[in-house]
Amino acid sequence: MRHAGHFVRLLALVAITVVGFLFVRSLVVPKDYGIKGHYRLSAIDDEAKREPRHIGSAACAECHDEIAAMWKAGKHHTPQCENCHGPGLMHTKVVAEDSTKGYADKILKNKNAIKRPTGIQECKWCHLKTFERPSTLKSIASVERHITDHKGTYTPNSKCVDCHNPHTTVVTPGKSGLASLTTAAK
Amino acid sequence: MTSPLNSDDVTRRDFLETVAKTGGQSFLFGSLFVNTSLLRLPQDAAQANAKAKAETEAGKGIIYGFVVDTTKCIGCGSCVRACRVENAVPDGYNRTWVEQYTFYPDGEVVVNSPVGGENGFAEPGPTRNMPAGLEAVQPVRGFFVPKLCNHCIDTPCIQVCPVGASFKTDEGVVLVDHESCVGCAYCVQACPFGSRYLNPDTMTADKCTWCHHRITKGMLPACVVSCPAEARIFGNVSDPTSTISQILSTNRVQVLKSYLGTRPRTRYIGLDSEVI
Repeated sequence: MRHAGHFVRLLALVAITVVGFLFVRSLVVPKDYGIKGHYRLSAIDDEAKREPRHIGSAACAECHDEIAAMWKAGKHHTPQCENCHGPGLMHTKVVAEDSTKGYADKILKNKNAIKRPTGIQECKWCHLKTFERPSTLKSIASVERHITDHKGTYTPNSKCVDCHNPHTTVVTPGKSGLASLTTAAK
Repeated sequence: MTSPLNSDDVTRRDFLETVAKTGGQSFLFGSLFVNTSLLRLPQDAAQANAKAKAETEAGKGIIYGFVVDTTKCIGCGSCVRACRVENAVPDGYNRTWVEQYTFYPDGEVVVNSPVGGENGFAEPGPTRNMPAGLEAVQPVRGFFVPKLCNHCIDTPCIQVCPVGASFKTDEGVVLVDHESCVGCAYCVQACPFGSRYLNPDTMTADKCTWCHHRITKGMLPACVVSCPAEARIFGNVSDPTSTISQILSTNRVQVLKSYLGTRPRTRYIGLDSEVI
């Protein structure tokens, strides 16, 4: 048995490695890892606890009920409030804690974070004519042509909401479409 | 018989034989532990299984599904903008995007997706490079196809994750654990649909979660809510009375890249074979 010493040392080394591995493993592997699969179970809750930034048109209607009623009764009720006005969370609540600080800072600098678009860009998202859009959708070929077609009513600086009420799609040429929706929120 | 290792004359042959035998035995013994369920907290696994079984029996088993009706999409990009805000998607990356397909009479198909369709689409459509001497032809048909994570049942992105940061919930939603993710981006390459990206802010993999933080609160995903054309339908496919189940039972649906066998949970209505 004059080689026995080699075995002892080898076994000791293996034992230390195994014990060391299990020890380090117990430290670095989260406690809830592997309960349902090869993942950390609490990661589901981490994801779920994020706060929704789009609060929904029903939430907007709680305060802005007059405009909401007008919007709902009109033809333009499929785009939601937040499609044009931006997400409502920042409007109702200051985001104090946010994983994406850059966004929160940017949005908070922007007054109360609710956009009040006057058209063209927002309207063009849906109503600019492209070949792929269905013909049933009311579209204009281009803003320039729309202005030429309605010469006299428009100036080159005209905005869509100057005539069109975006909440109802009612057109009042020569009169501001927004004039009818200046009702302030309660 | 004395062991060859205890005698003075250890031949090279004996030594190699012994090493091979011992190594083989160690390998077989060690392989018993490869199955992690043997190594890891068996009582927890048993509890989890029992709980999952009980939930399924109680009829609580929710399986989410997503249907994209390409025949209704008008390409406004509301979903892309809503998603960017809802999930703080950095500029230049998309969790969902809209592709514009334009077909020409000679069989040419032009696919266009400027900034993922975030700013809508413009007329004229994508410029097409015509061979010299030929005049540009007018397109014959076209449509928009919104794309998002397919939340595949047999998903490749989870398989390749070396740290267990990609996983699938019981409801069928594929998620990323941003605490565990080391940002190796294997999953970004593994996804055949280009649904994942490496978030430059967090340096972790990121993807569409079907707005997991909304659907677990009983809300719909931001892209579904913001769609003015009802081209996106989300719901519980295990409930036969849900809207999505009704739509799935009355429409012919298709998935992207079915030949890859990933079994996507996002299904499409009115998909052309040109759409990949």
